Amino acid sequence: MKYTYKIFTIFASFLFVFSCSDLEEDRSGILSLDNLQSEGDLVAALTPIYKQLQVTYRGFLIRTNTFGSDDLTTWWGGNKAPLRVFDGFNYGNGENADINWLDYDWKGFWKLIYHANSLVNGLQTSTAPEASKAIIEAEARCLRAIAYLSLVKVYGNLPIILDGMTPTGDEQRATVLENYQHIEVDLLFAEANLPAPGSTANVGRASTSVAKTALADLYLTWAGWPVKDPSKNALAATKAKEVIDMGYHTLLPINELWSMENANSKESILSAQYSKEEGATGNQMPAATSFHMARGWSDMYPELQFFKDFPEGARKDATFVTDIPNRGFSGGKIVTKTPATISWEKSERFHPMYGKWTKSEDLTVGPRTIGFRPIEVYRYAEVLLIYAEAKAASGSMDASALEALNQVKRRAAGLDPNAANPSVDVTSATVNDIVTEKGWELAGEHKRWFDLIRTETLEEVTAKRDPKEQVPLVRQPTKDQYITPLPAEAIATSKLIQNPQGFKIR
Amino acid sequence: MKQTKTKFFLITLLIAFGNTLFAQLSVSGTVVDQDGQPIPGVTILDDNNKTNGTVTDFDGNYTISVPSDGTIKVSFIGYQSQSIAVSGQTNINISLEEDISALDEVVITGYGSQVKKSDLTGSIASVSSADFENQPLIRVDQALQARAAGVAVTQTSGAPGAGYKIRIRGANSITGNNNPLYVVDGLVVGNINNLNASDISSMEVLKDASATAIYGNRGANGVVLITTKSGKKGKAKIQVDSFFGTSQVVQNIPVMTPAEFAEGVNLRDAAPGKPATIDADRIAELRAGAGVNWQDYFFRSAPFSNIVVSASGGSDDIDYYISANTYKAKATVINQDFNRLNLRANINAQLNDKLKVGINNFVSRSENTGARVNLATGIAWDMNTPPRNSSGEYNSIPLVPGVGNGTNMPLLVPENNSVENISDQLISSIYANYNITDQITLNISAGIEKIDFTNSSYEHGITGPNKAVVKDQQALRLQNTNRLSYKNDNPDHAFQADLVHEQQSFEMTFREATASDFFTDSTNFKELSLAGIQNTDSGISNEKLESFLARINYSLYEKYLFTASVRADGSSKFNKDNRWGTFPSGSLAWRISQEDFLKDHSTISSLKARASFGVTGSQAVDPFSTISIPGISSENNYPFTGGIPSIGVAPSTQMPNPDLTWETTTQFNIGFDIGLWDSKALLSVDYYSKKTEDILLSRVLPEFVGPTSITQNAGEVENKGFDISLNTVLYEKNDWSINSNFNLSANKNKVVKLVDGIESMVLGNIYYNSTFPVNPTRVEVGQPISTFRGYHFEGVYQTGDAQGTPGHAKYRDLNNDNQITSEDIGNIGDGNPDFTWGWNLNLDYKDLNLNMVFEGAQGNEIYNFQRMRMMGLGSAQFHAVHADFRDSWSTTNPSNTIHAGTQAARDANQWLSSQWLEDGSYTTLRSASLTYNLKDTLSVLGVEQFKVFVNGENLFIITDYSGFDPVSTASGNSDVDLGIDYNAFPISRSFSIGFNLTF
Repeated sequence: MKYTYKIFTIFASFLFVFSCSDLEEDRSGILSLDNLQSEGDLVAALTPIYKQLQVTYRGFLIRTNTFGSDDLTTWWGGNKAPLRVFDGFNYGNGENADINWLDYDWKGFWKLIYHANSLVNGLQTSTAPEASKAIIEAEARCLRAIAYLSLVKVYGNLPIILDGMTPTGDEQRATVLENYQHIEVDLLFAEANLPAPGSTANVGRASTSVAKTALADLYLTWAGWPVKDPSKNALAATKAKEVIDMGYHTLLPINELWSMENANSKESILSAQYSKEEGATGNQMPAATSFHMARGWSDMYPELQFFKDFPEGARKDATFVTDIPNRGFSGGKIVTKTPATISWEKSERFHPMYGKWTKSEDLTVGPRTIGFRPIEVYRYAEVLLIYAEAKAASGSMDASALEALNQVKRRAAGLDPNAANPSVDVTSATVNDIVTEKGWELAGEHKRWFDLIRTETLEEVTAKRDPKEQVPLVRQPTKDQYITPLPAEAIATSKLIQNPQGFKIR
Repeated sequence: MKQTKTKFFLITLLIAFGNTLFAQLSVSGTVVDQDGQPIPGVTILDDNNKTNGTVTDFDGNYTISVPSDGTIKVSFIGYQSQSIAVSGQTNINISLEEDISALDEVVITGYGSQVKKSDLTGSIASVSSADFENQPLIRVDQALQARAAGVAVTQTSGAPGAGYKIRIRGANSITGNNNPLYVVDGLVVGNINNLNASDISSMEVLKDASATAIYGNRGANGVVLITTKSGKKGKAKIQVDSFFGTSQVVQNIPVMTPAEFAEGVNLRDAAPGKPATIDADRIAELRAGAGVNWQDYFFRSAPFSNIVVSASGGSDDIDYYISANTYKAKATVINQDFNRLNLRANINAQLNDKLKVGINNFVSRSENTGARVNLATGIAWDMNTPPRNSSGEYNSIPLVPGVGNGTNMPLLVPENNSVENISDQLISSIYANYNITDQITLNISAGIEKIDFTNSSYEHGITGPNKAVVKDQQALRLQNTNRLSYKNDNPDHAFQADLVHEQQSFEMTFREATASDFFTDSTNFKELSLAGIQNTDSGISNEKLESFLARINYSLYEKYLFTASVRADGSSKFNKDNRWGTFPSGSLAWRISQEDFLKDHSTISSLKARASFGVTGSQAVDPFSTISIPGISSENNYPFTGGIPSIGVAPSTQMPNPDLTWETTTQFNIGFDIGLWDSKALLSVDYYSKKTEDILLSRVLPEFVGPTSITQNAGEVENKGFDISLNTVLYEKNDWSINSNFNLSANKNKVVKLVDGIESMVLGNIYYNSTFPVNPTRVEVGQPISTFRGYHFEGVYQTGDAQGTPGHAKYRDLNNDNQITSEDIGNIGDGNPDFTWGWNLNLDYKDLNLNMVFEGAQGNEIYNFQRMRMMGLGSAQFHAVHADFRDSWSTTNPSNTIHAGTQAARDANQWLSSQWLEDGSYTTLRSASLTYNLKDTLSVLGVEQFKVFVNGENLFIITDYSGFDPVSTASGNSDVDLGIDYNAFPISRSFSIGFNLTF
């Protein structure tokens, strides 16, 4: 009997050795944003904000809601139905809120805003050096403002969700004007705290010229539809001029602008970076702008009338591809077929392709063409044109504004932008002339649509559409087509009111 | 033992002396049981002279003197008595049959308790090895299919070795896990995928709250108790079971001919001034036999084999059961192979008359290899392009760009990429059982479960950028259970009480390496250091649980039975104030047939009424659900310099909720069991009503909030239903015996409440964000958990209709605003069946046995997105391949079911609509086996038993469903996306032959 007890005692004590009387979770492996201590911590928290800029700008999807402009059309077949909805204006009264791709920019930019809000909140308790904190906060708020401005331009007024708030999902939409105001506050803070351009090796990070350019963009938008406050034109001109006067930014020769080597050049003000070191993700712009026969997806290409009106010259050659590459995919490689190219008139889609992104395309990674060149969010040519337009619109057109416009025109003709040349220089220009010039200069760059609605010229531009376009127009656009329906899923999970009922300007 | 032996000897001696007067025949022999084991102590009596008798000795031997024309009567408690005419024989060997009515079967109820079926107060379905011994099985859960009322066992994939979805009395939770708790030999385990079905002695499914409440916070979804075999005292027994056969998919999906496909392409691509996409010459070639039906390349006839070898036996003090099993199978889908190997050793030792110890050990490995072809897009790929050109090189893309869909040639992935998923599982438990007194027992057990998953994959450069991912994941579960039991031996006031203390910990770690930009494809995932870009990721999580349980059983005069239990659980997943939960239960039963007025009733042999009530819980959320977890992965890194990305730390996508606590399910159950005609028919009927409150709900937040989800205790779900099972001996005469086991389960699932003020929520996130901008299912108050969303398809606009474009699909305008907007999306059906049923029919004739398992579901709908894609719809799908496309609307074919084949009609078509919804009801002959028992024919070789059999699975499926089959759907284990068919792995029809050898 004694023997039994002994065995049993040994047995029992062995079993009781592991005991978990402590029922706390071991959270030692989890990092917290409430405890940003070093410069390194700040950069780690800043990184995902820029990441969202990169994700959102990765391809054509950010342009889904802007296909109504004349610089964009799409394949009449395949899976491009969502793009055709916008290209043909098949929306405006709540319909087609539930289509694919519509909410791509919505999701991407709201996530950016969340990341920025969290970082600014985290700075409240951060023990990092004050100087670093100010720059980091400026960057976060600068990108938050750019994201908000993008969303407001597309969807109209939005709920105001900034740092220091704890949103629940029950928030209501503010007015467009109120949105402009908090965007302005952010950008003014950023302008005051960001470093000068070119002062860091981090080519992807925002400088004070980004804040000034975004402010110029905001004011120009503010002056036009829907708020239409003409007093903002002068502010737009001032901010653009400040960028020009910094003397840092320049225009590159147009035939070199889109090469891989000239990524992050002095023409670039803000661009989203796509590094090969991240793996084979890259950006989809070469694929989006290439036809299937060129190993792309035929997502976006210029409308025929836009291409026809586009003035001949160096810029037209740099902007479009008219001999469409004829390629296949075999043995894991993209191969060139015979003939190597087919003229655009006889090509698969009967349109030219954009060449801005295919110039730097990489054909060695996988079955589709891909890009690793940064995507321009703002570049210097736009600043020059904003300046010219704002001056013209505020009735104070002068030599400096004409010079800004002429620099763009000279460069477009393949000339030195800084040397006056009577063969291209103009001596007067209307707002309309400048908007048209801007359309050519920034064709396909996610700008044209906003210029058309801001200046309320969408209707007249659409009226000139070539009847040979294969994507049918469902209707001629009116103001109802100026804003995009809010994504159906966002309406379903919140208390937001759908456009146009929920669209409130002031 | 020694004492007993002496007693036998004395009795034998006495009897022998008392019978010396008559000169008679001396008869001797051995008495054995059904398994051939000798039975000591069996009484042998001279039928004509009751004073003349003997008992068998320890080895079952007896000797008795009886008249040569006399009769001996052989009897032993628990066995059927036999009378045998001596007829001059001097050696009579006797085999006794066990005398067990179904009601005397012992049912295991958890935490060491065993109860006779007749004494059960709760609702428990029991399946023993005898029930499925005539069906060749690979997986343990297969044995439950169609055999247990209230237990829905669904095969969600036809991949060999793949899992089944088990739901006990419906789904309680919305986003929480609804899997039952699996307990193998007292040890909670993570999964039962690798267990060997031949090792199973019995399975009990605990259904009502009085049965499950002893598992407290993890009992809400029901509990499956699995008991593995142990050795029996006696001669060593060696058993070899084997079967092998082949499988095919049940049916292919009908497609057009390649020429019809090409004509469809040209119709859809037609645009002013544009030549036909596929020219007339090529169409002529297609008509002459060129082109491809992709399903011919994707499916194959797939062989499989299974071998089990086991040895068992025991002596007075030690018993053992050891087994080994290998299963190898190819899948019906190309390039998919599965291998499984497992070993078991169960050993028990009686150290002395007070102390017994034992160990159960199980180790296994399973391997899934091969990259799977994407059936969803592959079947819908370009029919014009053969996989290889005339010189044998791949046609990686369509011959004409932009035809079919946007993916690469479907065979590139399975023929070049590599996938290897290995799962190693160790389950080991030991126990010591100590009888402190005759009535009080202390049982201490401890166990370890360790599962290692190694998932490796390689994407070959021929399919795109090369990339390798290797992920090692390790899960470790430790459990200790200490139980003190008391049991009296007063039959009028039978009383049993248990006190249990239990602690568990669970730890999960993973390490993942992703590598890309390999300069060579030759070493694939086996040499990651050859990659130009290498990333790593890792993670760790842990959870702990501590519990106390008290339980009593009381039986008064064997008529009135009571059970009550209370369990308290503390979980590390919740914050301190919400950590502990208490889960009580009680039940009673009245054995009416024990009352005098029914005692010897000629028809009703037994009747029992039962009622139970109890509360169980679920903590089925991930660890760290109460807090925010920052996002750290390459998804948050960014290349500031244009080169190597900086590491980013993003705010959590989950909103913290420190108040998170238990989800509780309250269940009420009433039922009765009735036995008729000497238990020839046994009917059990249960009605239950379950209410689950404070549901652990992961709610999708609108994007502007920031975090995309929050886990909340919100909402209420109700499950009500019936479980009916009917076991009958249909015929038992001469050499015939026909047994039937039928069961039917009806469950009605309803969402009663969601987060306050919210009537519906979007929860299934599988399809959201990829194919559909609006989720195909949602959770809505007043509806079952998963409700299909979509437009109501109302046919096709015809020429001459006042509205609409002829040939375009017509949808119901729900809000009558004369426009079809997302406001017109409504509820169009759901994937929950009205009832499911199973029927197991067993026929014996002499040495032949036929075992058939039928199974079915009624009233569920399936969202057939596979068909939608094959009709040329869906993201990056350009053209149609489905045979139904032939019936597309045209001016000459005014179809009212399929819209026109033009691009405009495609653009006007809504992918989410009742056009793609189908009835998923079915009846299937899940399994049929014919077995011939050769019994003694090989006894000269020392063989005790030899059975051969043929088996067929899924011999027929009766259904209106047009997809591969109505059983497997892509939504797997999810309950919020129930019944969506997209890229599912079809189930197969298989034939096998096998044998079962015992010696």
